[in-house]
Amino acid sequence: MSVLRVVNLKYKYPDSSHFALDDISFTVEKGEFVGIIGMNTAGKTSLGYALSGLIPHFFKGAYGGDVYIGEMDVLSHEISEITAKVGLVFENPFSQMTGAKFTVYDEIAFGLENQGVPRDVMHERIRESMKLLDIEGLQGKNPFSLSGGQMQRVAIASVIAMKPDILILDEPTSQLDPEGAEEVFRVVEKLADEGMTIIMAEQKMEKLAAYADRILLLHDGKLIEDGKPEEVFSRDDLREFGVEPPVYVKVARTLGIRSEKTGQYPISLDEMPRERELRFHPSDYIKSKTTEANGTTTAELIVRDLHFGYEKGQDVIRGLNVTMSGEPIAIIGQNGAGKTTFVKLLKALLKPDSGEIYLDGNPLSRTTAAKLASRIGLIFQNPNDQIFKHKVIDEVMFGPLNIGQSSKEALANAKEMLDLVGLADKADENPYDLSLAERKMVAMASILAMDTDIVIFDEPTMGQDVRGKSKVKEIIHSLHEKEKLVICILHDMDFVAETFGRTIIFSDGGMLFDGPTREAFAQGDALRLARVEQPHITKLVQRMGYDRIVLKETELM
Amino acid sequence: MKKKRMWSLQFSTAAFVLIPAAVGINFLGKLFADVLKLPLWIDAIGTVLASMLAGPLVGAIVGVINNIVYGFTTSPVSFVYAITQAVIGLVVGIMAYKGWISNVGKAVVLGLVVGFIAAIVSTPLNIMFWEGTTGNVWGDALFATMLAKDMPLWLASFADSIVVDVPDKVVTVLLSFLIFKGLPKNVKLMYDNQGEIERL
Amino acid sequence: MNNMTLYVNRDSPVHRVDPLTKLLFVFISITSTYISANHLAVFGILLFTFIILMTGNVFKSILPVIGVSFLLIASIIIVQGFFHPDRATVLFEIGPIAIYKEGFSIALLITLRVVNMVAAFGVLILTTKPDDLVEALLQKGLSPKFGYVLLSVLQIIPQMVALTGKITDAQRARGMETEGGIWMRFKSFLPLLGPVVLNSLTETRERSIALEIRGFNAKGNRTFLYERETYRYSMPLRIALIIFFLAVIVWRVMS
Repeated sequence: MSVLRVVNLKYKYPDSSHFALDDISFTVEKGEFVGIIGMNTAGKTSLGYALSGLIPHFFKGAYGGDVYIGEMDVLSHEISEITAKVGLVFENPFSQMTGAKFTVYDEIAFGLENQGVPRDVMHERIRESMKLLDIEGLQGKNPFSLSGGQMQRVAIASVIAMKPDILILDEPTSQLDPEGAEEVFRVVEKLADEGMTIIMAEQKMEKLAAYADRILLLHDGKLIEDGKPEEVFSRDDLREFGVEPPVYVKVARTLGIRSEKTGQYPISLDEMPRERELRFHPSDYIKSKTTEANGTTTAELIVRDLHFGYEKGQDVIRGLNVTMSGEPIAIIGQNGAGKTTFVKLLKALLKPDSGEIYLDGNPLSRTTAAKLASRIGLIFQNPNDQIFKHKVIDEVMFGPLNIGQSSKEALANAKEMLDLVGLADKADENPYDLSLAERKMVAMASILAMDTDIVIFDEPTMGQDVRGKSKVKEIIHSLHEKEKLVICILHDMDFVAETFGRTIIFSDGGMLFDGPTREAFAQGDALRLARVEQPHITKLVQRMGYDRIVLKETELM
Repeated sequence: MKKKRMWSLQFSTAAFVLIPAAVGINFLGKLFADVLKLPLWIDAIGTVLASMLAGPLVGAIVGVINNIVYGFTTSPVSFVYAITQAVIGLVVGIMAYKGWISNVGKAVVLGLVVGFIAAIVSTPLNIMFWEGTTGNVWGDALFATMLAKDMPLWLASFADSIVVDVPDKVVTVLLSFLIFKGLPKNVKLMYDNQGEIERL
Repeated sequence: MNNMTLYVNRDSPVHRVDPLTKLLFVFISITSTYISANHLAVFGILLFTFIILMTGNVFKSILPVIGVSFLLIASIIIVQGFFHPDRATVLFEIGPIAIYKEGFSIALLITLRVVNMVAAFGVLILTTKPDDLVEALLQKGLSPKFGYVLLSVLQIIPQMVALTGKITDAQRARGMETEGGIWMRFKSFLPLLGPVVLNSLTETRERSIALEIRGFNAKGNRTFLYERETYRYSMPLRIALIIFFLAVIVWRVMS
């Protein structure tokens, strides 16, 4: 008896004429780990809702076909009966905390109290799931005081404690930094080892390739393929579905490494042959490729002996000296290293305790943030902190109008930038009806439209799928072509390797390294100290026995 | 799409989650008004929005809980005005349901009505608890002037409340109206829609 | 600021009294001062409330709370002292203005009542954890959903307040001014409040989902993680309070 059976499932949200789920059928056996992949609009989240009964009971709408959890059909049961058997964890850790409990321990109890679980059983289950999720140390803490990764583990623990037959994880790491994501992946692996039935939607293909028994590829509400990871990832047309295969597949494809029997590519680091001989493009070829856009002149920021602390005696920035101009610059380093504080200082949102920042020779201390608005643009991580207009186009015009552009100018700039970020056709929509990834693009356009000489991004790739990421890359290149200085905080090292010529490694309020990206990823000690990993491709080539630093698969022959 | 009944006591989960959010919005409205040194309170935007979205009863509950929480966290005196806040929620909810938020003009009228009714409800409270003052400098100055001219206490107290409440409520309702008009579809749908599941 | 309540964590006899008895005390203490119009009686009740606060070791914490109501109290004294309609006997004069005995007497009475109101609530607020109060009400039959609402407000508001700094930064980065003339400042109100409102309303959807997943609408009996210890003296205390209250009413009716 399958633990889950989906038969010809079709679904439309109310007020929509489009099928969010379109004739999907599959089954899941007990203990299986099923991965779900596809681009942001593929229907992964809707499928998760349908398996946990939120579709149709919470969302209403038009529903066809059937979903069976064991013997129970979803349509004729209430959400609370369904969620007793199916646990759902979704992207945003913050909104999964109920808000009514003041400690992690009590938070986990919330669902059990509602289910009427006897008190002693309750205590036992809470302890059990805390142990499983490795959060015993947090039990007395307020859930809202935790980091994203910790919160997400509490969310999983809260659901696990209810003893579901199936656990659904809908991109649980997409809003977390790499450390938080790693924490979550570690416990997911542990749960899988315990024999839990898991269905997981995820953008990090390397992880799915490592855990999943099967992969479902969704596109536009339809199930394109249901197969083994190596089958699905060996498809030649993955990019059409907005999916990038694991880096190992990409390299293997470039090198022509595939199984003779099945014609499939290796999908994990372990499966890559170790003794394989690699050939590299000669270094001057690489150089000519990477320095193509150099030589442009941009605005110049000079930082001299910068110190800053939020509290007295606790410096977050300790004596920085750096000159920034020319090619786009990546800033990497772990959370709390002071990266965001640094860019806020650059933007004069914070005042340095000592030291000075010069913009084209003029000290920033003599200007205000509002005045700097027309010279330096800073795009924050969370678009929700700034969006307040009813229409995308008005939101994008807000900044330009504030800094004195005429409404005609502002409109022209706004349109151009919406086009650049790929949202030209959504100008009249309500920003909050768009996805978070799209909203990030709106926020980006709203700063770019101010046409500043310097553009600073804080984590532009977080939560973006492959298409979003390549859009960001395009934007950075086009800004550079327009002779603007681009500075970018990033956690995604693959993206850094592909996009930036110069990288700064941040740690503990200071710089460990500043120079060409290729050299940056050769700094073993600095990387370890900053708790940053090398890009996947770099690691792979080193593992195959070469000490050369490779940044892109196109460098291989 | 049929709108759900105005007085339904069957609150959805979404309505329960809306209440704390609305109280928070009230709180932040007041906070930002302080930060920007605006001469108004603007501390009922959440109550008004909740009424517009989820009806008079939810609005009234937001009002009461708002003042209970305020009483618990800042000033116990605000327990007294829980009734006023509840009435604001009711009035907005009923009038919104009857179509008084279809354009700016009507929203101004709604604001005036809310301001007057708030003053009518507050006056007996003010008289009962503190013989008619409100603690607002301008209002109390007017109150004192009218008493000095030997006008009746209730009239002076009512005038005191009116000058304080009406401008504030007109601004509050107008701002709420602007925000409400711009709410994304998926939020409005969640509260509007009592739709059935259509079987394909 | 993760906890926005005024609760003061101490171990005192007042802290140990069960929340519902304290709630009854608040009600009786306040209504008694309004039923009785005798200065001395009201003063006595206020004194008693103060003594309870001192027993609870939280007297110092009530002072700032009374301070919040200072404007109201000052306004009562000034306005009533000068202008109360019953004014007849001049108490003393400051320059050309006369303070009247009748008005002053009423102002004094109201002030005592207001201070007692604040102090009586203080007994409840300063010595009771909000979640204990809500739990007590839940076990008296308050719907768990309303219990949820009351508790989550206390958690969610600090989270929303924490957003304000980020929003201010983000909008200033787009050239918005928070200083200047009144119209300029007023124009900044929506850009600041708008994101919080839209966020928190949009978030209600996700949080509703989270609650549904955790059985918020489950039918059938619910259980409680913690057992409430019953407070030994709640019955005698409550009876004493009610007797006192009846005495106040009788006295008022008789006199």
